[in-house]
Amino acid sequence: MKNNKKQYWKGLEELTKNPEFEKYADKEFAEYLPINDESEGEGTNRRDFLKMMGFGIAAASLAACEAPVRKAIPYLNKPVDVDPGVPNYYASTYLNGSDFCSIVVKTREGRPIKIEGNKLSSLSGGGTSAQVQASVLSLYDKERLEDPVLDGKATTWDALDKAVISKLGSLSGKIALVSNSIYSPSTAAALDALKAKYSNIEEIAYDQVSFSGMLNANEKAFGKRAIPSYDFSKAKTIVSFDADFLGEWLNSPLFNKQFAKTRKLGPNKKEMSRLYSFESNLSLTGSNSDYRSAIKASQQGAYIANLYNDLAKKAGAPTVSAGKVGDSANLTKAANDLWKSKGQSLVVSGSNDESVQGLVNAINNLLGNYGSTLDLNAANNTRKGDDSKMVNFVKDLNAGNVSGVIFFNCNPVYDHALGKSIADGLKKAKFSVSTSSRKDETASLVNAIAPDNHFLESWNDAEPTEGKFTLTQPTISNLFNTRQAQQSFLAWSGDQTSYFDFIKENWKNTNFTNQTKETNFDKFWDQCLHDGAFEVASSAEAIEVGEIAVDYKARAAGSGIELVFYKNNSVGDGSQANNPWLQEMPDPITKAVWDNYLTISRKMAADLGLTPGDMTTKLVKLTANGQSITIPALIQPGQAQGTVGLALGYGRSNGGKVANGVGQNAYPMISYKNGFQEMAVTSGVTVELTDETYRVAQTQTHETYMDRSNVVQEATLSEYKKDASAGRAFPMISTYHGKEKPGNVSLWEGHKYPNHHWGMIVDMNSCTGCGACTVSCQAENNVPVVGKAEVLNRREMTWLRIDRYYSHTEEADELSGLDKLKKMEVPADNPEVTFQPMMCQQCNNAPCETVCPVAATNHSTEGINQMAYNRCIGTRYCANNCPYKVRRFNWFKYHDNRQFPENTSMNNDLGKMVLNPDVTVRARGVMEKCSFCVQRVQYGKLEAKKEGRRPVDGEITSACASACPSEALVFGDMKDPNSRISKMLRLEDGENGLEVKEERAYNMLEEINVKPNVWYLTKIRNKEESNA
Amino acid sequence: MHAESVVRQPLVTGGKTVHDITNDICGRVEEKPAKSWMLAMALSLSLLAIGGYYVYRLLWHGIGEWGLNKTVGWAWDITNFVWWVGIGHAGTLISAILLLFRQRWRMAINRAAEAMTIFAVICAAMFPILHMGRPWLGAYWALPLPNTFGSLWVNFNSPLLWDVFAISTYFSVSLVFWYIGLIPDFASIRDRATTTVRKAVYGALSFGWDGASKTWSRYETVALVLAGLATPLVLSVHTIVSFDFATSVIPGWHTTIFPPYFVAGAIFSGFAMVLTLLLVTRKVYKLEDYITVQHIELMNIVIIVTGSIVGVAYITEFFIASYSGVEAEQYAFINRAFGPYWWAYASMMTCNVISPQLFWFKSIRTNIASTFVISIIVNIGMWFERFVIIVTSLHRDYIPSSWAMFYPKAADIGVYLFSFGFFFTAFFLFAKFFPVINMAEVKSIVKATSEKTDK
Amino acid sequence: MESDKNFVLGVYDDEDLLLKGIKDVREGGVKIHEVYSPFPVHGIEAAMGYKTSRLSVAAFLFGLTGTILALTLQIGTMTVDWPMIVGGKDFLPFPTFIPVTFELTVLLAAFGMVGTFFTVSNLKPWGKPRIFDLRITDDKHVMAVDLAKNKMTEDEIKQVLQSSGASEVNNKNFV
Repeated sequence: MKNNKKQYWKGLEELTKNPEFEKYADKEFAEYLPINDESEGEGTNRRDFLKMMGFGIAAASLAACEAPVRKAIPYLNKPVDVDPGVPNYYASTYLNGSDFCSIVVKTREGRPIKIEGNKLSSLSGGGTSAQVQASVLSLYDKERLEDPVLDGKATTWDALDKAVISKLGSLSGKIALVSNSIYSPSTAAALDALKAKYSNIEEIAYDQVSFSGMLNANEKAFGKRAIPSYDFSKAKTIVSFDADFLGEWLNSPLFNKQFAKTRKLGPNKKEMSRLYSFESNLSLTGSNSDYRSAIKASQQGAYIANLYNDLAKKAGAPTVSAGKVGDSANLTKAANDLWKSKGQSLVVSGSNDESVQGLVNAINNLLGNYGSTLDLNAANNTRKGDDSKMVNFVKDLNAGNVSGVIFFNCNPVYDHALGKSIADGLKKAKFSVSTSSRKDETASLVNAIAPDNHFLESWNDAEPTEGKFTLTQPTISNLFNTRQAQQSFLAWSGDQTSYFDFIKENWKNTNFTNQTKETNFDKFWDQCLHDGAFEVASSAEAIEVGEIAVDYKARAAGSGIELVFYKNNSVGDGSQANNPWLQEMPDPITKAVWDNYLTISRKMAADLGLTPGDMTTKLVKLTANGQSITIPALIQPGQAQGTVGLALGYGRSNGGKVANGVGQNAYPMISYKNGFQEMAVTSGVTVELTDETYRVAQTQTHETYMDRSNVVQEATLSEYKKDASAGRAFPMISTYHGKEKPGNVSLWEGHKYPNHHWGMIVDMNSCTGCGACTVSCQAENNVPVVGKAEVLNRREMTWLRIDRYYSHTEEADELSGLDKLKKMEVPADNPEVTFQPMMCQQCNNAPCETVCPVAATNHSTEGINQMAYNRCIGTRYCANNCPYKVRRFNWFKYHDNRQFPENTSMNNDLGKMVLNPDVTVRARGVMEKCSFCVQRVQYGKLEAKKEGRRPVDGEITSACASACPSEALVFGDMKDPNSRISKMLRLEDGENGLEVKEERAYNMLEEINVKPNVWYLTKIRNKEESNA
Repeated sequence: MHAESVVRQPLVTGGKTVHDITNDICGRVEEKPAKSWMLAMALSLSLLAIGGYYVYRLLWHGIGEWGLNKTVGWAWDITNFVWWVGIGHAGTLISAILLLFRQRWRMAINRAAEAMTIFAVICAAMFPILHMGRPWLGAYWALPLPNTFGSLWVNFNSPLLWDVFAISTYFSVSLVFWYIGLIPDFASIRDRATTTVRKAVYGALSFGWDGASKTWSRYETVALVLAGLATPLVLSVHTIVSFDFATSVIPGWHTTIFPPYFVAGAIFSGFAMVLTLLLVTRKVYKLEDYITVQHIELMNIVIIVTGSIVGVAYITEFFIASYSGVEAEQYAFINRAFGPYWWAYASMMTCNVISPQLFWFKSIRTNIASTFVISIIVNIGMWFERFVIIVTSLHRDYIPSSWAMFYPKAADIGVYLFSFGFFFTAFFLFAKFFPVINMAEVKSIVKATSEKTDK
Repeated sequence: MESDKNFVLGVYDDEDLLLKGIKDVREGGVKIHEVYSPFPVHGIEAAMGYKTSRLSVAAFLFGLTGTILALTLQIGTMTVDWPMIVGGKDFLPFPTFIPVTFELTVLLAAFGMVGTFFTVSNLKPWGKPRIFDLRITDDKHVMAVDLAKNKMTEDEIKQVLQSSGASEVNNKNFV
């Protein structure tokens, strides 16, 4: 080192001895830095630097205290009609398979979130059904196809169109266009355009549950292959043979409304219709009937024939050979009532047997019901399927005579009896295309899929009843790269016009010309679009109903077990099986969820040696029509002896994550009898017990109401006529000065509700138990789906439930004491059924409020029992102390939790779009319950306030009440003397607040004096004598 | 001055001198832990660990880990709560009430009994916290704390809030009572201490006690007044716990007989648990001369009395139910005895009403083994009593559609084990490091009662 | 000679000897500084001429405070600050206030009294007591006489203690 003479320079400056450089050479920072020297007077010195740094740090740390930013992207250009926080409503139409409903869609910030009935349309009477309510969630189904598919691979529309056009063009043989019933004029027109291009197209329509028998019978009788439109509201006596018109038969929302109209009672309406039903499974119709006979399916013909004979005798018409029937008592009774109410009666049958339906026509004709309760001139278009055509198509397909198949929004491989042979036959077809919106059982077998929009994304029209039109308009732009089927048809027929213009054009030429009110088409169109409906007198020439010839051969009653199929209100035909709201909606009768099962009578269970436990049963091996499945057996009171029931719509294999593997597919078991599908297998059915146990999840396991008059209060019509308060129970409390009404025995003054006092009426007489309200509530209030496992733990979350009670077996009445109690738990074999919607009773003296340690639940000054979710600490004391057990606890985190994939509306980004922004999604560990839709109440009040007026009755209503097709639920302000609720309860001001003068109105559990704001109206059955 | 009750038998046998007492009791603290103690400790710690896993699951996933449902919102959680609180009654009761009655036989057992009380109450307090859906908030939201929301206060109508006050008051007062008693004994250990650590620790624990007569006389006043305060407190705690049920509207809960019946039950189970533990401690620490058969017999007599009171209460409930003429009420009780949970009711009856009656026989009530067995049976029975009251009343109340069964899950059992793990861990630590018998008090009676007084 | 430094201790073997001793010593004209025992000796208050303790009065006053506090808290929050409709009860549901009021009363009474006791007796975790004889917490009763506070000579005092029945008499000096 020492002798190292090398010289190192910091830089040229040092070498050149630059003075400026020398000056700072030894400094750390060679160039001038002001902070380095203290002496510097002006400019910033170190102290300033430190000050700035201090401030900087302080500022930085302060900034860090801010809450994390959630991205909310504002409108760049706000659409004219979209205001954040303000919902928009659009009239539209629910179209799914052969079903329809005229609806109003509620959208928030461009998202459809709720469906209501369209009061302006007479087609479905402003009511809805559970499936309609749930369909909004199907829109946000992540498993819908996101692109058109060609040979199993996603592709573009151009590519698909090119391929399809060339293929269809090249096909010489027959091209089958398979669909459910088509009753949309514009769709038909679009198809005509397609047929014009490809003359070899043949249309084949089928319905999951076939009506061909009736259609053929009507064709024979009236020369018109159509279903008449029914008007139950005009009927004094109704007889239904396995036609579940309150459930899934034709247009149930409308039928519920019409039927309910005949069941409403009041001080100046003391008459109601009488409903007889003869059926094998206990259906909604059966459970609402006044007289019900459980009959074997094979006996139906005989029963109808006997009824015909009874009436024919009275009318002096020729009789037929009927054969014997079991329960003739109810039948003769029915015949007499029908005859008494000639012209104001109705006989319907669910049979698909031409000759049987012929008899029914004849009966209605004898009773002169055509023109009053039955209208052939305004025929019902929603069922046009032709069994024979379908059968032939399947034959041809397998014979290789069908070169091309177009499946238009249908899934026959799954939901048709011949599904399997269709699947096999498809291989023989040269080309097949489906417009299914998902890769379902059928679509997964075709060459090309042109995925259709969801109906909420589509333009469309429909003519469900002749002369009554309803429009469908999109409420959101396509979520995926889908195109509506009609548009595809136009495209394939080489027509480039958009379907929207096509519809308009079509209406211009048809409906616009058929009316005279409007002269300007655009105004006419806008009006129709606004109303969602257009009605015009049918143009078809009126039909004269003359003599109806009957050709009925008596059939021997089947001796073996008979399998009877049914559609339940929840999953229905299975097309919406991937909708968790429907899967978790309790079957209105069995109260079971997430399964189908074999409903068997208690006797059969005993014969099989099946003794079910608490929601535990055994699997049975069911063999029918050459098919056999293993399926859980469920004891069903009211099941006809020697019959078993099985629900359609389950057992999807390509339905989606939610639907797949839930239950068993029953469609393949449907058999044909002389060319017609039979909804019952009457021979060769065997049921064997396996030793495999299985758990069926039910939301209600105790089936009788144990004669508790403080829960269910009922009477017969005759009793009611004598005394309007018949069936009422008036509990009294013994005090030191004699007996007192519970309301008068209290430590407290109670509170007055100065402004509003919200209340609800539940008319148990017109509630048919259809369950539309429960799904509506689920959609409105962001109620989570918890899945089968949690329902088995008795943890379903529904805020609104419909309790279904059976009358207990007669044996109980003879007994006493403990034995009586035990027997009272056993329902009768053919029980009377009571439906009782249960939601939070909004007690004015709420026991739940008292016990909450943190006052998370308390009472509003409008009588609503309110929950502050974010104050709740989850002690569950309130739920324990709720005598009605309507409170629901968040046992787990149901949202954003992989543990609950079924809960699609909270666990995937698309599903979340259905959530109602006005309602909190509840956190884990908090209690929740019915809030009387407080968000709707507040919104309605604000709207009124903006216009400087008081809310008008009817503009504020709860989700359940608005969904109810039979108007059994009435919500309103008891402080408003003109409100429906005030009128129905006949409220009067008494010394202690409002007094209810309506004799039928009662509070449940009156004796504990919790003062509910929900009033039940007694159940009145139209019977002579009250027997269980 | 206080009147001496005539002493029939010596309360301390084996001719112990005052010095022997110091040796015997302090010796346990000073000597190295015994093998048996190590084993017991290991067992209770493993219980704690197993239970801890389920507590974690409960806190992490939610209350759904338990078997509760929409109809039965409380089951094992509150059953355990009430059960532990009940057990937690004996200690303070023994020291307070027996002190007021000048029952000197308490002196040998009150220390351990109070310790048991403290730990039992902690176990009890665990459950109201754990059973909350959101314990991380509920733990302090249930207190009337001022907060940024200004007007956000608790609901003083809620019996659950009364519990918060009752339990915390009872716990802290018992703790103070217990600790005051410990101070002079800590001083003894301090003055015998050989190691600096022990000197420091027990020095701090003994609060600088010097045994001056002035302090002693104040000490006695404090003990007396505390006893006077603690006595109504003991009775109030279970009364208020019973309000959780008595003030509700649920048939089977809504019962005015609950307060006395719960208190009796509490003393019943409390004494049983004291016996269980003392019989073990007595054996392990060879304290036969201090905890004599007479002590055991006297406690067994208390068990007969309270057990019979409870039995009468059960029958009265049925009478009142039938007499009331209230349908739901009547059904609730019939369902208890003959419904799906009849087995729970049956075991409650056998354990609580029948088994203690055996103590009418002197041979049984003076027999260590039989006493031990029955004391355990009694506590099983008392657990079932609470289970019966809570679950059978809830699972079938007013609306038949909601009737449901309750099936426990692993976490129900796990969390219960956790409380046991804690209880025994705490108790064994106490037994090792604290004087298990109140030396000062026993010393004060030794001259009067021990056989050989001349030294 | 300054006080509180040099003591003469009389050690007694049991409470009866002690009580007799106290009597004799006081009659002998010796001022006793303090008597230390392993356990409470009944009758010592009289022998030493202590006034009855006023701790119970303290307890009562603290209890009263508790009652007032409890009622103020409940009425203040439920009735004055933010009245809510809860279960249809009045805004001043007095019966439901009783349990909490009772509990708070007991709580404050107990803690207040014990606190007072610790303060007046100078008991605290960091307290450094003056230990006259390690056997005090074992089995011996010790009577301490402060020489400075007595006119008698050390021997005279020892004499008195001896004759009063003390088993030992020894000196204890603190520096």
